[in-house]
Amino acid sequence: MFEKGCNQAMSSGDDKLKSALDIALERASKLGKMSDEEMRETREKELAGVGEALVARYVKGLPIRDIELELAKYKEDRQKIIPYLLDGLWDRLDLENTQEIDKLLSAIEHFTGNSSATERVQSLAIEYRNEVEKTLGKNKNSLEDAKRKELKRKGISGSAVIPIVESSPEWLQIREGLNSRYRKRLEELKSFLKAL
Amino acid sequence: MKLVGDFYAYLWPGVNMQEMMKFGNNCNSYLVANALPANKHVLVDPGQVVNETRQRCLDRLIAEMKKDNLRIEDVGLIINTHAHPDHYGASETIRKMSGCQVAIGKEENEFLKLAGGEMAKALKSMGFEMPEINPDLYLSEGELRLNQNLVAKIFLIPGHSDGHIGIYWPKEKVFMGGDLVFYGSTGRVDIPGGSAELLKKSIEQIAKLDIDYMCTGHQYGSPGILKGKEQIKQNFEIIRRSIFPYL
Repeated sequence: MFEKGCNQAMSSGDDKLKSALDIALERASKLGKMSDEEMRETREKELAGVGEALVARYVKGLPIRDIELELAKYKEDRQKIIPYLLDGLWDRLDLENTQEIDKLLSAIEHFTGNSSATERVQSLAIEYRNEVEKTLGKNKNSLEDAKRKELKRKGISGSAVIPIVESSPEWLQIREGLNSRYRKRLEELKSFLKAL
Repeated sequence: MKLVGDFYAYLWPGVNMQEMMKFGNNCNSYLVANALPANKHVLVDPGQVVNETRQRCLDRLIAEMKKDNLRIEDVGLIINTHAHPDHYGASETIRKMSGCQVAIGKEENEFLKLAGGEMAKALKSMGFEMPEINPDLYLSEGELRLNQNLVAKIFLIPGHSDGHIGIYWPKEKVFMGGDLVFYGSTGRVDIPGGSAELLKKSIEQIAKLDIDYMCTGHQYGSPGILKGKEQIKQNFEIIRRSIFPYL
């Protein structure tokens, strides 16, 4: 039974089936027919991938000197990878992620040799943090009351309970308004600094 | 496993060396059923999702709860006695499953913020990762009022960690002490935030309470729950005599 069914399936779709060898040969012949422009694009994509991967490894903890050693392996392509690497570093900059900002800026400064970008982004980051603290301070009492009421509704109260307002939906909403305003300013600043 | 009244205990295997080797590390979890409106439960120390020996700790907890007709989706509040991953690790996963609130000692969270890096490094060297935790409320010393007349007393019991808390249920005389004491031993004090002097003080403070069920954080080759005033008193005596001089 099984053999019969199997043969039927093979014979019915014979003309549509390609072996792995056929597929590989077809791909290889396609590669052979690539224009110079296509070859250049393929190479650019590869180098962009290297840049992105190096950013990911840097963020995970690979030191700058090791990033440089990796780049050195690409010899004349090193200079082509750096713009992709810088793009990746700029893309990851996020004022909310305070732990990463200094690390990213230090790499940007290293690869651009320009400290003004670092100073301007850091100044915006400080302004953002100050405004978050100021806004939280201004709203703390009402946010705490709202959180306490929510907890009470859920049956949780007593002198041991201290509501955390930073995780309350009301605060997250206020903060999101702040964040979107500063995100816009950061994007404008990034575009300006990248063009320098 | 039903402990008393609406109190349930889910002990992580490890009453002997063979079990300890096979199952690896995770904490004991405790649950107070229907402690909140809409028949929601309070879960103390949910443990990890998966531990260092790839045991699926949370799946096991869910399965054990199911045997008692309790669902993880009905957890309304998680209380973490302290911020070590073998105790709080599954908090955020359970929050996603149940929408529960997550609580921890205030000082513990402050310590995590300040010394998180140092703590993470120390724990990583022991094979633990630091899972995310975003508590909704802190618990400090005082009263925790829940459903109807259910009241718990929260004690700040530092020593094993800086902001460790214990939960005492006076009506049922149940104490959930995390890693304060075990059967014949105490929580270690060599992890960042640990202090031998504070641990001794915390133990003496809790020894004064009227306790019928001492619910410990780990079995470590011994029973995870000490039952009866006499056994609990003896355990404090053994700890004073045999452990305090070496702390």
